[in-house]
Amino acid sequence: MGHGKVITITSGKGGVGKTTVTANLSTALAMAGYKVVAIDADIGLRNLDVVMGLENRIVYDLVDVVEGRCRLNQAMIKDKRLEGLSMIPAAQTRDKNAISPTDMVLVCDQLREEVDYIVIDSPAGIERGFQNALAPADQVIIVTNPEVSAVRDADRIIGMIEAEEKGPGKLIINRYKPDMVARGDMLSIEDIVDILHIDIIGIIPEDEKILISTNRGQPLVMQNGHAKETGVAIRNIANRVKGDEIPFIDLAVKDGFMSRLRGWVTS
Amino acid sequence: MNLEATSQLSIKGIRDGLLLTLAPQPSFDDAFANLSNEIQNQGDFLRNSRIAVDLGGRIVNTDQIGAMQEVFANNGIALWAILSHREATRSAARDLGLATRLPGSQMDLQGNGVREPVKTHDGEAAADELANAILINETVRSGRSLYFDGHVVIVGDVNPGAEIVADGNVIVWGKLSGLVHAGANGDESATVSALDLSPTQLRIANRITIAPPVDKKRVPVPETACIKDEQIVAEAWNR
Repeated sequence: MGHGKVITITSGKGGVGKTTVTANLSTALAMAGYKVVAIDADIGLRNLDVVMGLENRIVYDLVDVVEGRCRLNQAMIKDKRLEGLSMIPAAQTRDKNAISPTDMVLVCDQLREEVDYIVIDSPAGIERGFQNALAPADQVIIVTNPEVSAVRDADRIIGMIEAEEKGPGKLIINRYKPDMVARGDMLSIEDIVDILHIDIIGIIPEDEKILISTNRGQPLVMQNGHAKETGVAIRNIANRVKGDEIPFIDLAVKDGFMSRLRGWVTS
Repeated sequence: MNLEATSQLSIKGIRDGLLLTLAPQPSFDDAFANLSNEIQNQGDFLRNSRIAVDLGGRIVNTDQIGAMQEVFANNGIALWAILSHREATRSAARDLGLATRLPGSQMDLQGNGVREPVKTHDGEAAADELANAILINETVRSGRSLYFDGHVVIVGDVNPGAEIVADGNVIVWGKLSGLVHAGANGDESATVSALDLSPTQLRIANRITIAPPVDKKRVPVPETACIKDEQIVAEAWNR
C-alpha cells in the first residue's frame, strides 16, 4: 500500500462548510507542495467541483470509475492553477447507493500510491453516503458551527466514528464570530469542547470573502492579499494535518482561555 | 433455510458474516439441539459463512462451546465469535480463541445505537447478583441508547440526544444532559443522580418531567432526583 493519507471531512449536519473546508484544505496542502486529490463523495448533490472551479471540465466521475467505465486517472481533473492538485467529482445523476464503502476503500488504496493526501468531502447525514466517506479514512475531521444543532449532530457523528474505530477525529469550528461570543450570543469554543471532548484542529472565523470565493470557484487560500486572517486559519489547519505543531493548547494558565484562542484565531 | 421463522433463533447479516441470536427462553442444551437440527437439515445455505453467536444470558462452558464449534465446522461454517453478557461465558469462549465482541458493537450497521448490553430475563437470577449494576466509563454521545435491567453508573457525560434507560438507579459522574429513565420497569423508588443534573427529560417509573430552564452562569451542584408526593423532585446531594 502506498503512503498517501486519507482524510475525510464530515459533519452530520448540512451547510456547516464541509465542501468549503475540503476545497481550501486540499488547495492549501497542494500549495505546500504535496500531491493532493479531493474526492466529492456527495453523489447526486455534487458541489466540490463548483467550489473548486472545475465544473466545466468534468468528463468522468467517481461512479464511472467504480463501475469500470473509465480508469481512475481519467476521472482525476487536474487543477490548472496549482500543480499537484486534482479532484474526482461525484456523479450528479445517481445516488449514494451507486457506490459502496468497499468501492471507496479500493479507489483510495489505488490513489494512495500516487498522491500524498486524499481529502474526501462527505455528504451530510449518517447514512450510506457518510459510511462510504468514512470507510477509507485514516483521519476524520469533523466540521461544526458554533450553534447548538450543529454541535449536537457533530456529537452523533463522533460517536459513530468512534464505533467504527476511526476515532476520535479532530474538530474544525467554522464560522466563528469572536464578537458574538464575547456578547454571550454564540457558543464559545469552551462550550463546544465541553460537549464534544475532542481536539480542535482549527478555528475558521466567519468571513464573507469565503462566500465570494466559493461563488467564484476560487478557493480562498489561493488568493493573495484578501482575507488574511481566514487564509491563515486554513493554512494553519493544513500545517496541523501535516503534523506540524502550531501552538494554541500550550498557551495555558494566566489569561483566560477565550482571549488566548482569540489571539490564536487572528494570529 | 428459514431460521427467522423459528422463534428459537434469529439470524442476520452483519459486516463480519452472520449473527445468530438464540432466543432467551430455552436452555443452552435445548437451543443447541434445535440449532444442530436446523444446520444438519439445511446447512448448505450457510456453508462457507462466518458466524457469530449471541448466547444472551446463558452460562455456557468451554466444552459446550467446543461442541457447538464442531457442529458448525462439520457443516463448513466458521464460528468466530461468542457474544454474551455473562463474563463466565465470554471467558470460556476466549479460552477457545474466539472473539467476544463485534467491532464497533455499540452501533448496528446502519449506525443506529443498539440498546446495549441487551440483557434477557432468563430465570438465572441466582447467578445474577454481580450483574445488577453496570459501570460505563465513557461519555455517552448523541444517538446512543443504553438499556440495563439493573443500576447504571456512568463516569463521563451523557450528552443531549443520548438516552439511558435502567430498571434501577442511574448515577452520572459528570454532566447529564440527555434523556434518562430510571425505574423503567415501574420502580417508583428509583433515583437519578448526577454531578450536573440537567437532563433534556427525566423519567422515573411512569412519571416524566423536564428540567427547569438553567441559568448559564449557575455553578452546578450534585443533585439527586426521586419521586416525592407523586412528583419528581431534584434535591442537592449533601449527605
